[in-house]
Amino acid sequence: MTKLTVITPTGESRPMEADPSTSLMEAIRDAGIDGIVAECGGTAACATCHVFVDEAAQAALDPADEHEAGMLEFAAVEATPASRLSCQVRVSDLPEGAVVTLPETQL
Amino acid sequence: MPRPMPVIDDVSLAEMYDDPYPVYARLRREAPVAWLAPANIALITRFDDMIAIERDEETFPANDPRSLQIRSMGHSLMRRDGAEHAAERAVLVKSFSPPMVKSHWSPLFREIAEELVGETAPKGQGDLFTEFAAPMAARALAQIIGIPETDWQDLLWWSQALIDATGNYADLPEPWERCARASEGIDTAIDHHAALWAKAPNPSALSAMVAADWPIERIRADIKVIIGGGLNEPRDSIGTVLLGLLSDPAQLEAVKADPALGRKAFEEAVRWVAPIGMYPRRVAKETVLSDTVLPAGTAIGLSAASACRDESHFGDSAGRFDMNRPKAQHLAFGSGPHFCLGTWMARSMVGDVAVPALLARLPDLRLDPDNSPRMGGWVFRGPLFLPARWSPK
Repeated sequence: MTKLTVITPTGESRPMEADPSTSLMEAIRDAGIDGIVAECGGTAACATCHVFVDEAAQAALDPADEHEAGMLEFAAVEATPASRLSCQVRVSDLPEGAVVTLPETQL
Repeated sequence: MPRPMPVIDDVSLAEMYDDPYPVYARLRREAPVAWLAPANIALITRFDDMIAIERDEETFPANDPRSLQIRSMGHSLMRRDGAEHAAERAVLVKSFSPPMVKSHWSPLFREIAEELVGETAPKGQGDLFTEFAAPMAARALAQIIGIPETDWQDLLWWSQALIDATGNYADLPEPWERCARASEGIDTAIDHHAALWAKAPNPSALSAMVAADWPIERIRADIKVIIGGGLNEPRDSIGTVLLGLLSDPAQLEAVKADPALGRKAFEEAVRWVAPIGMYPRRVAKETVLSDTVLPAGTAIGLSAASACRDESHFGDSAGRFDMNRPKAQHLAFGSGPHFCLGTWMARSMVGDVAVPALLARLPDLRLDPDNSPRMGGWVFRGPLFLPARWSPK
């Protein structure tokens, strides 16, 4: 299991243990943390599982591909260099202790 | 103790076609998982049940050999599951993605809308469904699919024939005959254009399929699904947004003052009257939903129309068109792996372009006081007749 911290839309810090075989989107949803909608269920087609990852995770992850970057332009909260679609991030690629911040809204 | 599935045999499909919403409200309250006897399908009417089904494609696969859609259109990606479905969808994603919509398709939508508004403006009155919504959707779709030499009126009747056969739960012979004739026309258009795009690729869906070297049966089935979904849904939602706005002066004035609100009006319109009212799944293994046993093998219908008016998500005003209601996820585009591929195309075509263009050019557009609009359908639903008046330009 990978230890992560999720900062919820209300600013609450929620430590969680994520299954490395899942996507970050599934892990956050499975942990029962609100703030991920994931209308498309993880096919990178809706931009409603937008998250911001910390610097360590940004350095560890492969950058978003053209499609993911294009979708992020349509996220409800403006994307930054820290933005990812959480459905496209594998938990196994995240560094231990990564901090993931959820945007104020996904819709 | 979970209960056996209640049987609903005191409603008719004709009544559902006319107005399914009272039936849905009753089902959500009394029997959210119920066997709808006249349609031979178990109808799922609550929002939360639909989400649970869409997230579990092992228990509720899209593939069902009994599918009317497979019979009418061939075996398309809409009736496949898992990795096979994902790989097929991945070929098409780029044509329908927001960046492609923004850079390539939206300018084209603007051209078509301007031309149509120009043709409509001098008339002073007419049926916005046939004058504007249908040609807008059909002319755009011919380009998106990649069969631009097709007459848009052919596309219109092909789409209707496919849709009527797919929704033919009463199994009447005439819709199947019409569907076969439409299929012939579509296959001819595909063959002609596929040969062109093999030499000169473009952003259209057909070109992407040709480049991926798909077998012809797969191309034919997926093009037919895109014709069905890509014509009726934007056409019907253009009509529904217009009906919603023209019935409410405050919301109409707000969109006229700020065309950017067209997107919000579109989103609320498809929640209010989901153009795809119901779509099927199969039960692969016995399961319990809303305290009701669903036996293995049951054919189920997910009522997006009902889920989009579920009081537990949208409150007691769910039956009203109100673009100012709090933002909330709706299910008009479905959810999960089959989340509508055309979502962004529709948001742009209908919300950003078509509706704002019409309202900008016809500032006193209003419903015709002497003719009532008419809605129809439950598997697919939208305006059938939307008579309006405006000052001729």
